[in-house]
Amino acid sequence: MTLNVTGLSAVRSGRTILHPTTLEIPPRSRIGLVGASGSGKSTLGHVLIDDLRARGYNVAHVPQSPDEALDPLRSMAFHWREAEMALGLATGSTDRVGLFRALKIEGGDMRKRPWGWSRGMQQRFVIAMALIGAPDLIVLDEPTSALDPVVAATTMDLLSVTLKDRNTAMLLITHDLGLAARRVDTLMVMDEGRLVERGRTEDILENPQTRAAKSLSAHRSWLALPC
Amino acid sequence: MIKAVCGLLLRAFVVLSGATILTFALLWNAPGDPAQAIAMARFDALLTDEVVDQVRQEVGLDRSFWQAFWAWLGPLLTLDLGFSAVTGRPVWPDLAAAISYTFPLAFSSLAVGLAVSVPLALLATKRPGGWMDRLAVAAASLGNAIPAYWLGLILILLFSVKLAWLPALGASTPAHAILPALTLGLGVAASLTRIIRSGILEARGQPFLPAFRRRGIVEKSIGRDHVAPHAAIPVVTVLGLELAFLLEGLVLVEVIFGRPGLGTFLVQAILARDFAHVQAVVVLTALVFVAVNLAIDLTYRIVDPRIGESDA
Repeated sequence: MTLNVTGLSAVRSGRTILHPTTLEIPPRSRIGLVGASGSGKSTLGHVLIDDLRARGYNVAHVPQSPDEALDPLRSMAFHWREAEMALGLATGSTDRVGLFRALKIEGGDMRKRPWGWSRGMQQRFVIAMALIGAPDLIVLDEPTSALDPVVAATTMDLLSVTLKDRNTAMLLITHDLGLAARRVDTLMVMDEGRLVERGRTEDILENPQTRAAKSLSAHRSWLALPC
Repeated sequence: MIKAVCGLLLRAFVVLSGATILTFALLWNAPGDPAQAIAMARFDALLTDEVVDQVRQEVGLDRSFWQAFWAWLGPLLTLDLGFSAVTGRPVWPDLAAAISYTFPLAFSSLAVGLAVSVPLALLATKRPGGWMDRLAVAAASLGNAIPAYWLGLILILLFSVKLAWLPALGASTPAHAILPALTLGLGVAASLTRIIRSGILEARGQPFLPAFRRRGIVEKSIGRDHVAPHAAIPVVTVLGLELAFLLEGLVLVEVIFGRPGLGTFLVQAILARDFAHVQAVVVLTALVFVAVNLAIDLTYRIVDPRIGESDA
């Protein structure tokens, strides 16, 4: 089912940081939301999640760093149980082993706290948690910026494979055009709280129309990064 | 674990030996003749030099400082607290009697402190910056600024003299403990309110909470399972300091309310230069401190498992 949202906006301290925005997200789509820092990408992601959740959709969120997703005082097992319960699922009813195997974290000790796992494993655990209950959309907000390039690339590869057989759509928020170019088929460009350009990834990379898109695609050297 | 226990024992040894030697030295070198003070306390009259010298010999004050200290320390190693220089009675029964008044008062004060501070801090943090919050912060600042002896006298004036609701002096009925417990407890509540309040506000600012809300976890669970444990960390730390405040306050409050507890026991012993009594209170206080610090250390490791973990 295609997810449609209209009129998403956000105002903070009397300043409009997200102008009314309309989005259409088909199932299984891979969309990249790019723009410079402070352009309103994360705000759009948050407002989108809140709007869809309020309308009863199952939307998962993967923040930038595992520190923003895991409580250092609670065990991994606690986080997993809590995520299951939040979705109204019985504890232990989800295919944790399958998800862990797909994301290659089956060796992680669930009794440990987040800091007992490596950063890469923590982030993959957060992604695994996000995939509980087959969400309609997974919003990844700069999911690899806290990881080194090799771990980042592996994590994104594993995510692509895991999503392959699912109907889940993916919205990848990033300022890293190199990451977006390899992982999404549609790009949306944001600038000063507005969605200024939308199109196929190759088209925007080859023939950007707006100032923001041109400025981003001018840095083609980014595309050489492994992720 | 073995390392932690050894560290604790070493710490206990340093605290106990430091406290006992220091107090003994202070009492030994205080202005005035200790033998005279003991003789006066014993006979309640001015005495001739011969009598004072006799007392000096009898209680061992004619020896050197270290000889006198070892003479006290030796029996202590077999858990013998010695005999009072004034009454000649063994120290332990009198000390135990004093403890039976003081410890219940200390716990009631802590209970009053927690009973007032926890709800007040929860109310204050419902709307940070709101009128309730500002009122709680103002009350806590005022409570911190008011000394226990002043508050004690005001409470006596109000509840005993003006309203005649509660007894002021003595410790014969449980009602006698209400005003002293309030005096100490309100002071404890003042500092605890500030710490619990700031602990909750800091815990609410943890960077992972927005993601938990987006995951669909309800506010009740977030408060109970994530905010409360983070808020507890500074509170546990401060509870140890509160004990120091309590012990210090107990001495004053017991004297103000004429209660026969450890405070009165200690003040009388210092005035009479009763070394065995003073040293007994010092050893007891140091032991309580060591025990409480151990309990806090262990609680800390439970509340925040990052402490003492090798794989952090």
